[in-house]
Amino acid sequence: MPIKVENLSFVYNEGTPYATVALNNVTFEIQDEEFVGIIGHTGSGKSTLIQHLNGLLKPTSGKIYINGVDITDKKVSLKDIRKEVGLVFQYPEYQLFEETIFKDIAFGPTNLGLSEEEIEKRVYEAMDIVGISRELADKSPFEVSGGQKRRIAIAGILAMKPRILILDEPTAGLDPKGREEILNKIKEIHDKYKMITILVSHSMEDIARFADKIIVMNKGRIEIIGTPREVFREAEKLEKMGLGVPQITSLARELQKKGVTIPEDILTIEEAKEYIIRYLRGTKNV
Amino acid sequence: MEHIITTQNLSFEYHAEEQTRHLVLKDINLQFEKGQFIGIIGHNGSGKSTLAKHFNALLLPTEGKVHVKGMDTQDTNHLWDIRQTAGLVFQNPDNQIVATIVEEDVAFGPENLGIPPDEIRERVEYALKAVGMWEYKDYPPHMLSGGQKQRVAIAGIIAMKPECIILDEPTAMLDPIGRKEVISTIKKLNKEDGITVILITHFMEEVVDADRVIVMDNGKVVLDGTPKEVFKEVALLKKIGLSVPQVTELAYQLKREGFDVPLDILTVEEMVEFLCR
Repeated sequence: MPIKVENLSFVYNEGTPYATVALNNVTFEIQDEEFVGIIGHTGSGKSTLIQHLNGLLKPTSGKIYINGVDITDKKVSLKDIRKEVGLVFQYPEYQLFEETIFKDIAFGPTNLGLSEEEIEKRVYEAMDIVGISRELADKSPFEVSGGQKRRIAIAGILAMKPRILILDEPTAGLDPKGREEILNKIKEIHDKYKMITILVSHSMEDIARFADKIIVMNKGRIEIIGTPREVFREAEKLEKMGLGVPQITSLARELQKKGVTIPEDILTIEEAKEYIIRYLRGTKNV
Repeated sequence: MEHIITTQNLSFEYHAEEQTRHLVLKDINLQFEKGQFIGIIGHNGSGKSTLAKHFNALLLPTEGKVHVKGMDTQDTNHLWDIRQTAGLVFQNPDNQIVATIVEEDVAFGPENLGIPPDEIRERVEYALKAVGMWEYKDYPPHMLSGGQKQRVAIAGIIAMKPECIILDEPTAMLDPIGRKEVISTIKKLNKEDGITVILITHFMEEVVDADRVIVMDNGKVVLDGTPKEVFKEVALLKKIGLSVPQVTELAYQLKREGFDVPLDILTVEEMVEFLCR
């Protein structure tokens, strides 16, 4: 279910003195099974962009094709789009509302008009996937911890079996352990179900670890698009935009400047360690 | 050295509905020196926010004592003096702003203290300048970014002229730019205005420059020392679900491979210096 966005522009409050261009001629493609990271500071247009991908916002101009179907076409049913494109908002736990965890997760599939058997099957599957014990099904979603609430909210989207999963800063406000758990879960789900996964994040370290492709947004435009290595090679450009590179990437860059044999596009601690060990052994032998 | 806040054998339990005892703080003994920048880190549920709420009498100890500038927090006669001495800033800026105009919001605290209008004006100006938000004094708060709103919330505390500010994850909901704004504001208030800062956070990099770092786990203080002393305990920090800066993790892994690397490396510069010396 590939995504193709062509010359997408969006203006908030168009035709009023408050008109703001949020997206300016954005074009990109996402292939099946890709894990895509979107970075950019607040106001760069990343949330506006993802809200277009499931038809929550209609472009001012431009086209969005999902699996070859232009979803900006008035004849396309929004229900069909949202069945395929699941969007998990920031702080999704604020959207929990049902009496029980089961009912909350079942809300989406119920609206799809599925049979009761199918709904039950999907709810329990989704709970298994996000690691919420089935025994909690009849508990109130408001009685569990913050990290669990967030996983329940994600389960509600997974139960709709989307082919494209979009998550807007799913780790915001969580502690390091909670962040790790959620990210590993998302990676696991991606690897198992092979859906396109789009992750919006402020953490360069997280994006560097998981994404196949990174889209860098700035002032409503795509500033850089490419593999993590390609993107993080542009350290100066990223810093100018108020973004950065992972700490380990800056270390590699600084070491390279000092003449150490290490590529400047290091992304993980493991990679850096290999080169540094080689360097340390080398200097000792000399 | 003068102590601004002390806790003696502080324990605290929440009473859940089912009458179960849930001990959130267990026998905490701490003394905070005036003028220091202190970081408190710990994962969710470690007790760090509960501890913070004891520092200005929002919560009272189940057992033990908390003193703020020598005042016992359990003595209700001192409540206002305590709250004026130690101000608390919370995580979500949207929940802390009460007025429709920035300067009115900052004036809210001093107004409640019954301060004369002329002095309120002076204090509001001082506080907004201290956080770099003076030019936004006439703005409605909803027109500001998250980082700006959080700075306004801090100004609201500054206007009460506290000797100590306690910040409970003030950057958790902000983007990297907002985080930088807030952290540099806090550092300036500590360095230039001499305000004691207690910063509660998940982000290790925010406490790298602190005078002292306290690590909480399961209601107890598990580490207490300078950032270098604390962060070199990589194994323990990881075990209790915290993370260390990537270069510190790298130093730890190199050490395990048998290289003689100091474990108290916290920044890229220190690592480069060590490797290229």
